[in-house]
Amino acid sequence: MSITVTRHDGKKEPFNADKINRSIERACYGLFDPVSKVTQIATETQLTLYDGITTDEMDQATINAAVQNIKDDIEYDIVAKRLLLKTLYRQVIKDFHPSDEVEVFANKHRISFIDFIETGVANGKLHPEMKAKFNLNELANTLKIERDELFQYAGLDGLINRYLIKDINQKPIEVPQYFFMRIAMGLSYNESNPTEMAKKFYNKMSRLEYVAGGSTNLAAGTINPALSNCYLLEIQDDMRHIAKSVSDVMLLSKGSGGIGASVTKLRASGSPLRKYGGTSTGPTPFAKIIDTAIRAIQRGGKKKGALCFYMENWHIDFPEFLDWKKNNGDDYMRMRTANTAVFLSDEFMKRVASGDEWYMFDPAETADLNELYGEAFSKRYVEYVDMANAGKLRAFKKVPASEQYRQILTELQSSSHPWLVWKDSINLRALNNNTGTIHMSNLCTEICLPQDRDNVAVCNLASLNLAAHIKNKEVNWSRLEESVRLAVRQLDNLIDINVLPIPEAAKSDRENRAVGLGVMGFSDTIEQLGMSYDSPHAWDFADRIFEFVSYMAIDESANLAQERGSYTNFQGSEWSKGKVPIDTLVTLEEGRGRPLTVSKTSKHKGLNWDVLRSKVSKGMRNATLMAVAPNANIGLLAATTPGIDARFAQVFSRNKISGKYLDINHNLVKDLKNMGIWDDVKEQIIENQGDIAGISLIPPHIKEVYKTSFTTSPYAYIEVAARAQKWVDQALSRNMYLETRDIDETMQIYSTAWEKGLKSTYYLHMKPRHTAEQSTTNVNKAAKIGKVGFGALNFSNSPAFSAPLQKSLDVNVPTQAPIVEPVAVVSPMTAKQEAIANITLEEEILVSTSIVKTEPVFSQPVMVKEEVVVQEKVLVSEAPRNEYKPLERVVGEKKYNIIAPEDPADSDNICIACQ
Amino acid sequence: MTLIGKPSPTDMNLHPLNYKWAYDLYNQAVRNTWFPHEIALKEDLEDFEKMTEDERHAVKFLMAFFNPAELIVNRSIALGIYPYLKSPECHLYLAKQMWEEANHCVSFEYVLETFPFDRESVFNTHLEVPSMIAKEAFINKYLSRMTDDKLDIDTVEGKKDFIRNLVATNIVMEGVWFYSGFMVALSFRQRNQLRNFGSMINWVLRDESLHLKFGINLVHNILEENPELLTEEFAAEIRNIVIEGVDLEVAYNKDLFPNGILGLNADYVNQYVQYVADRRLQELGMPKYYNATNPAKWMSTATDVFELVNFFESQNTSYEVDSHSSGTKKENPAE
Repeated sequence: MSITVTRHDGKKEPFNADKINRSIERACYGLFDPVSKVTQIATETQLTLYDGITTDEMDQATINAAVQNIKDDIEYDIVAKRLLLKTLYRQVIKDFHPSDEVEVFANKHRISFIDFIETGVANGKLHPEMKAKFNLNELANTLKIERDELFQYAGLDGLINRYLIKDINQKPIEVPQYFFMRIAMGLSYNESNPTEMAKKFYNKMSRLEYVAGGSTNLAAGTINPALSNCYLLEIQDDMRHIAKSVSDVMLLSKGSGGIGASVTKLRASGSPLRKYGGTSTGPTPFAKIIDTAIRAIQRGGKKKGALCFYMENWHIDFPEFLDWKKNNGDDYMRMRTANTAVFLSDEFMKRVASGDEWYMFDPAETADLNELYGEAFSKRYVEYVDMANAGKLRAFKKVPASEQYRQILTELQSSSHPWLVWKDSINLRALNNNTGTIHMSNLCTEICLPQDRDNVAVCNLASLNLAAHIKNKEVNWSRLEESVRLAVRQLDNLIDINVLPIPEAAKSDRENRAVGLGVMGFSDTIEQLGMSYDSPHAWDFADRIFEFVSYMAIDESANLAQERGSYTNFQGSEWSKGKVPIDTLVTLEEGRGRPLTVSKTSKHKGLNWDVLRSKVSKGMRNATLMAVAPNANIGLLAATTPGIDARFAQVFSRNKISGKYLDINHNLVKDLKNMGIWDDVKEQIIENQGDIAGISLIPPHIKEVYKTSFTTSPYAYIEVAARAQKWVDQALSRNMYLETRDIDETMQIYSTAWEKGLKSTYYLHMKPRHTAEQSTTNVNKAAKIGKVGFGALNFSNSPAFSAPLQKSLDVNVPTQAPIVEPVAVVSPMTAKQEAIANITLEEEILVSTSIVKTEPVFSQPVMVKEEVVVQEKVLVSEAPRNEYKPLERVVGEKKYNIIAPEDPADSDNICIACQ
Repeated sequence: MTLIGKPSPTDMNLHPLNYKWAYDLYNQAVRNTWFPHEIALKEDLEDFEKMTEDERHAVKFLMAFFNPAELIVNRSIALGIYPYLKSPECHLYLAKQMWEEANHCVSFEYVLETFPFDRESVFNTHLEVPSMIAKEAFINKYLSRMTDDKLDIDTVEGKKDFIRNLVATNIVMEGVWFYSGFMVALSFRQRNQLRNFGSMINWVLRDESLHLKFGINLVHNILEENPELLTEEFAAEIRNIVIEGVDLEVAYNKDLFPNGILGLNADYVNQYVQYVADRRLQELGMPKYYNATNPAKWMSTATDVFELVNFFESQNTSYEVDSHSSGTKKENPAE
């Protein structure tokens, strides 16, 4: 087959295998056995070529060939990533040539950055402040191209597709380091020294120590900085406001935020209309309008709108609401795009437990219930029950509470909706409850902010990457503190730059300055520390980490209050009374009238909360500080596990807007490689769909650490969330994973979540009982059912089988992929390549980030007026992040490194939570 | 009780279950129920408009094959398989399978209506393109023997005809041809095109995997109950049916990919077809014929592992309908 390649200029040239090989070879530097990798990728690339293929497609074909080998060797991920980076550099960096020496390239990378900013400002993509406020040369010199090595392929591909700014032809005009710098700059306009602060923010984000929320990534530094992630709005029970809400939803969606919308206030179907007579159609048709509206919107021009409807389950139309996400039925009564969540009261949970009846009312008759919580709600609810039984209400329904609970969970099992969110845990623990009732959470069930007719709650997010703060199997606490402080400052800066499309949102944002700093990479971290998600070690560790992050975040917000003033609604808040999140556990217990079943003590012990309480009472910059988002996208970007999620499986696929990616647990692969058994078990791991429990070659202590989401106890998910929730002022997106379909057991699990004080749960993933036939593993369905069929015959002596029977058509039978010509000898790494592959930078760690300084101690932050930069010299290795110092073992003729995570049972020096 | 034979009155009793595997497969099939309108195709339509001519041709050609093929499978079940099976649990399963084939047909119809195809030309393709005519003729050849009045299922020759038709329909058409079509369809999603169509294919593939499981079970149980069928000659004949099926697919793939598209060309798909055919032969208890390796390693991502869906980005295709989990039916609460 003679193949020609169509170049960019339309000219055709003969396919040149050597050219491809060289480009793959460059992407393999520093890797183990590069020659075989080059051969493998080149061979598989050739298999997919066709005559007339374009050069872009050729690049893509090479990347695809590398990607499909990741399942066998994670080093192919590095190759794929580098090949992808090369295509990106070619589009963005002027005069880029793939064979440029490292220094030459770094220089081009710097020069193009200045051009990116200047051109971007000139043609109206970037904000004029991006040029006016900064020393671009200095920023260009701060850029560290080598940090592109920190990405994994899927994260980089997602970043390119999702976040990078594109030109009119949808070609990216920035590379990853520009992207981080754009965000850093875009959140520093109002700093006294914008350039200096942008450098600090950049250094954090580009090292993936924290990552800003999606909207911020999209819009920071642009002329339309719509930077908020979450909106929570209440739909009032009048036509004008319903119509306005549809409009608000559309405008907010366009700005790329996710939306929570409460429909509890909408009167029931059959409820009389005031002015015109007749009766209402109830919430469903109005919700359907909104469901349709968000489909029409491309959030930030990139993804369709996303919204979650909230309803309290005392609404008489709640049974209809439960059906909204069913896959069949009247399309006008189904929400195809929007999600649903139920807002449950303690009263309901208690009635479930005691076997009492549950009454549902028309909110037109019981409007105040929506505003009440805790004991006040229960008291009023009982009054309405009495009125209903006395015949004083127009309409009501009753059903055994446990029966409704069962229906909720049955629906949750089959459609993953509605999510369960607890009204009283949220409201009783709120520190911002001086501005009204919280009627809902948001799209991802981690935000707890009040809203009313004049306020659409807004939250601004970023997430710490815990895994980037682990070094030598220990948490680098001072670096983590620095990250928290800078992240909080960056989030606070965001609010004054943020553009919001509706005045009610702008007002709420301005007056509350609500932010939500999250934590991701929890599972990634505990794996590296050798802990099982399903162990007290992990739970204590979660407890400890969240206490620390919470403390530092609150402390930084209090610092910012002293530097910049408190948020408008601070007076009267629980903060102003010196309360911190942990203090509200008691409030919840009192309101509920029963103790929470979670350990209430501190596992960190080094933090002096009393000092902080007194500081907080004097002023807070932000109404809220923490919220743990699901991080489905930025977790991938940062190459770590999202939020507090467990590993879905050791290998699984992610179906994303930007494509379908294989996710393989690099920690596990490294451990298995070090033990020398990776090659023996890799196929079995895929055959078992990412569950290693049944693979006999893998030792038990490894299996203990690397469970899948379906083999981890559901109670472990609850425990981790409960421990974290103690310290988090808002909430956590708690994904749940269940293998059991026993509905009583499921009810028990969710009741436990409530008893332990969780504020919310998020998606419920059920383990599929049947999946499609696997393609790449060795499948034999007959063998599985123990049948041999024609195998009972002896074919070896059969003349009928000795020769091909019939060949009616000419079949080309390649038994092996065609072999490419031997690849040119791969040159050893140049000194410079080596430098980049194994770069070690001397860096400073700022222990305090605010211009108003605090002492670098955990216990007693004291104000220092002058800027004193406290530095610690630390050697920070950029890549790879986790460097083992392995022992070696020779097995057969191969030499293996041995580092297995120590067995937790006989080792007490790895679990830092227990030290 | 035997699987095949002439019906008797006791065949109408579901219990006691003689073939529990068939009943289990029926229950799983019910849980797998889905409907095409659950998939929104708007974004795919945008992708389609950006595709090259060769890519569009491939999509169109696939649809032109699949749409009538689903109905041919149904005909084969109704006329060639169902009537000769005695087991009521097998009948339950086949009834559900036939609904699924109908559902697949309507699903492809839904795609045909949504995409800017010349419907007339798509519908006519399987009547005009020789390689596709040949595939259909191949299936009909075995089916026509079943509908022949002279067929007596109680004779060895009748039983052989049953197996021939079952292998042609279930193993070759559903187990080889469809699988190569799925790989091609999913390759688009792998390049981030036709993502929602890909979700639909996931569902079709999930159903078809079950059909194949049923078919393999059926073949093996019938062979076990009728050892007189286990001869080298008959085995060779069955193998020949699979090989002929592969040959027909090779010719068809040339028409599917007259040129290549990114990531795929006819040779590549042929190699995959051979790889899958080897698997089917092994599942029948025979040695591999082609010894081809799987060129589409990326299929591990597409089908082999659990999929984690970000629900507001993609359709979750792994959900199951389950009326059993509750144990309590939903009732209208008292007023």
